[in-house]
Formats: sequence, structure tokens, C-alpha cells
Amino acid sequence: MKKFLNTPEAFVDEMLDGIYRAHPQVTHTAGDLRCYVTANPVPGKVGIVTGGGSGHLPTFLGYVGDGMIDGCAVGGVFQSPSSDQILEVTKHVDQGAGVLYLYGNYTGDIMNFDMAGELAELEDIATATVVGNDDVASSVVGEEHKRRGVAGIFFLYKAAGAAAAQMLPLTEVARITDKARARTRTMGVALSPCIVPEVGRPGFQIGENEMEIGMGIHGEPGISREPLQPADTVVDKMMERIFAETDYKTGDEVAVLINGLGATPLEELYILYRRVAILMEERGVTIRHRWLGEFATSMEMAGASISVLHLDDELEPLIAAPVSTPFFTHVGG
Amino acid sequence: MALTADHTRAFYTAWADRFAAEREALIALDGQVGDSDLGITMSKGFAAARDAVAAAPEAGIAEQMKLAGGALARAAPSTMGTLMATGFLRGFKALDGADTFGTGQAATFWRAFAEGVAQRGKARPGDKTVLDVLDPIATALDGRDDPLADALEAATVAAGHALEATRNMVAQHGKAAAFQEKSRGLPDAGGTVAVMLVEVMRDVARQL
Repeated sequence: MKKFLNTPEAFVDEMLDGIYRAHPQVTHTAGDLRCYVTANPVPGKVGIVTGGGSGHLPTFLGYVGDGMIDGCAVGGVFQSPSSDQILEVTKHVDQGAGVLYLYGNYTGDIMNFDMAGELAELEDIATATVVGNDDVASSVVGEEHKRRGVAGIFFLYKAAGAAAAQMLPLTEVARITDKARARTRTMGVALSPCIVPEVGRPGFQIGENEMEIGMGIHGEPGISREPLQPADTVVDKMMERIFAETDYKTGDEVAVLINGLGATPLEELYILYRRVAILMEERGVTIRHRWLGEFATSMEMAGASISVLHLDDELEPLIAAPVSTPFFTHVGG
Repeated sequence: MALTADHTRAFYTAWADRFAAEREALIALDGQVGDSDLGITMSKGFAAARDAVAAAPEAGIAEQMKLAGGALARAAPSTMGTLMATGFLRGFKALDGADTFGTGQAATFWRAFAEGVAQRGKARPGDKTVLDVLDPIATALDGRDDPLADALEAATVAAGHALEATRNMVAQHGKAAAFQEKSRGLPDAGGTVAVMLVEVMRDVARQL
């Protein structure tokens, strides 16, 4: 293991301390570094709280900021935060209009967010929940509730944040976010494994000339282990899965996210984007918005994911709206 | 005789004492197919529940459950701690406003507890979880009208049989699921906790 660490045990808290020192736009509450909240709450706005394990920056906490989300309960590497931490973030973020819980579909996170919602209710804070499940590779059509949440949650944060910024009520923010959820699909491919600092070695191997299509952002097994192929062929295989269960028509608009998993250069992401753009063009589909870079990583894993949000007249302006967070800025349009 | 809030207060002290005493035994049991944290979760969680209830001398029967549930969630953020917290909070919701705790209220409490655990843990009967003992406890109490101590004795007997039955099940949830067949033959650790919960409630009811 070759990492910049002081001790593996301090990995999460020292990362957080660094973020707070770098970005006065965010702070923490309840005397707990892992209860991460915006320093600029908007009175009367629906609060949006996320959470999940560390090891995926900028996911999850990176989207806390102006125009996006308001708080994040931070877990250990690949571990859920506790319901108590989620509750503390909820209490801090609530501005009287209730709180939307928006996080990825993992058993531990679901249990702790549900528990936190029950505790929040006892404190007269209304909550609603949307659980991201964009990973096409993690279960078949018809069993979408079993799918993991991965990079596509970025679009959900974007839609939810813009809806809340319009001062819409909790039920509307939840409805719009759920619509974005239902219209988002992601496919990933991994080229190398990741190392959890406290473990100190990879939990699995991917051979020098191999790739794993559909691997999860914690190294969950994918759909197939195959010899590495040309980038266009890899994109074709990934997009085939997404096209198979969506109904993009000529004239439709989408937003595309090309996400690096941690160790893949931006150059390669543009090579992937090129092929996605060609495939969309062939179908007469317009890529109205596109972002490339690291949005949901898996430590030092090499690989990438492609997320597509099928836009409509309601979602498009929300995706276009300006935001400013320590990890992501969009000037609008 | 139905209990009052002054009596039900004794449940929490007795649970804290029992789980403190069983700490090592639960660690050993859980260590066979889990990560050995069950004894720590239960002793810490119920000590916190006891303290929360003791700090609120005016709390009614349901309010005590709410305090215990909140304390369990904070002090024991593991899966079993969260399930226990959920059970007590559902008990609070089901019994909100109750002045006495008799056989009918006990039946309501255990049914709400079992349903809350089933919902939060997404387990079904037969999955070899705490639910495989909680559900039979609730069923044993359902519709009874004998005195509380007698009803809880029947529920405790049912819980013991239900725990024995978990030996023949294969774990489907949590870390034990990774052990699958190795879990066969062992009583479920969570189910063991449920037996202790109802035994303690019975013992307190008998003494009053």
C-alpha cells in the first residue's frame, strides 16, 4: 500500500479536518467532524441530507454547498454513518420545511437513515426519502429496488438542490428527485482494485489485461470479467445495457456524466465521452449537459462509469441551475 | 395485576443488569458466526436505556419506551442496536397514553416491537433472525386475558421453543449470512437476545 497517511485510523477524520480548513463554506455540528453541514443554511428551505461511507470523494459530502445539498453524515471508509450522526445533521439542517434524505441503496445506510427519520419525527421534523439506485449492472430490470446507488446520484443531488432552492415544499422536492432517480442509469467498468487504508491491501485482483464490467464502487462483483478491449468497444458494451432499458427517442435530451473511479486520467474520460457522443448522435439524442471528471470514486481504483439522465421539461432547468460547492461549481445554463 | 409507570420503570434496570451479566456469553455466541459485537451492543445499549429512563422520573409507560429507544439508537449504532431501538419506539407509538401495562398492553407492545423489527431489518420468518423469536412471543400473547405474569410465562416458554427452532435454520442476513451452512445447528444470537428480553419482563412482572 502506497498512500499519504499518518495512521490508517485517522484517515477519515484528518481528511475532514483538511476540508474544513480549506473550505469555510462548510462546517460540522454536534462536536462531531463526521456531521458535515453547510455554513450557509437558507431559512425556510427544505433541507437535503445525504450520507454514506468515506472513500468516494467528491461523493457524498462534496455536494454540500449553495444550490445543491445541505448536510452529510460521514461514515468510515465504505461504512455507513450512525443513525445518531444522521439525526444530528438533520436537526442542524432543518429550516422548518422538513428534510429530504437522499443517499445510495445500501442495506446499512437504509437502516440508519430510516432510524434517523423515526427519531427526527419524534423531534417534529418531517422527512422524506429518495434512495439512488442507478447502477444497471447490479440487478436486472424488474428488480431495480436491489440496484446499488453509484455516480448517477450526482444528478439527483442537482435536481433536488435546484428544486429546494426554488422553495418548493418537501413533497414536491421529493417527487422531482424521485423522477430524476427513475430516469437515471449508470454503467461502470473497473480496471484495477482499490485499497481500504485500515486493510492495507486490495480485497481482490484484476489481471493486467482484464477489466470487470459492472463492478460496484466498493469492489462488488460485476457482470463479467473480460480481456481489456478498445475504448470504443468498452463504451459500446456499457451503453448497450443502458439503451436496452431506456426509451431515448430522436429529439430527446439527456445529461451525461463520465466519472473517473480514482486512478483514471481525464484524457481517457474524454476518449470515452467521444464514443458516447457518437452513439447519442446516431440516435438523434442531444446531450444537453455533460460533465467529466471525478464525481464518485473508489479510492485508487482505475476505471470509469457512464451515467445518463433522460431529461424532460421539468428536469432540464433544474440540472442547468447554478451551484457552488467546494467540490463542484456550475455557473448555470 | 396490571403495572403502572412506576413498575415498568423496573424493566429497564433489570434489562441493563441482565445484559451486563450476559455480555461475555453473547460475545462468545456471536463470535461463532458474526463479529462478536453483540454482547457489547446489548450491554452498552441497555445501560444507556436504563439511564435515560432513570433521568426522567415523570415519564409514563410509553414515554419510557421512547426514551429507551432513543438511547439505544445513540449508544448502540449496530444493526441489533438499531433493531432494538426501533422495537421500543414502535412500542411507544402503539401504547402512547397508556396508564397501565397489563396483558393486553404487553401483547400490543410485543406485536409492535416485532413488526418494527421486521420492517427495519427486512427479514422474514425463517431467515434465522431475532424475528424468529419475537414473532412467536407476540403470537403467544395475542388474545390472552390471564394475569400479566402468567401470560409472560407462556410467552417465555414460546420464545424458548422458537429459539430452539432457529438451530435448524440457515442465516440469510447480516454477517452470519456469509457463514450460511455453518450457522446451522447454532441458535440465532439475535433470537437469544429476544428470549432474554421477555424472560426479564416476566421476572419483573412476577415480583410485583
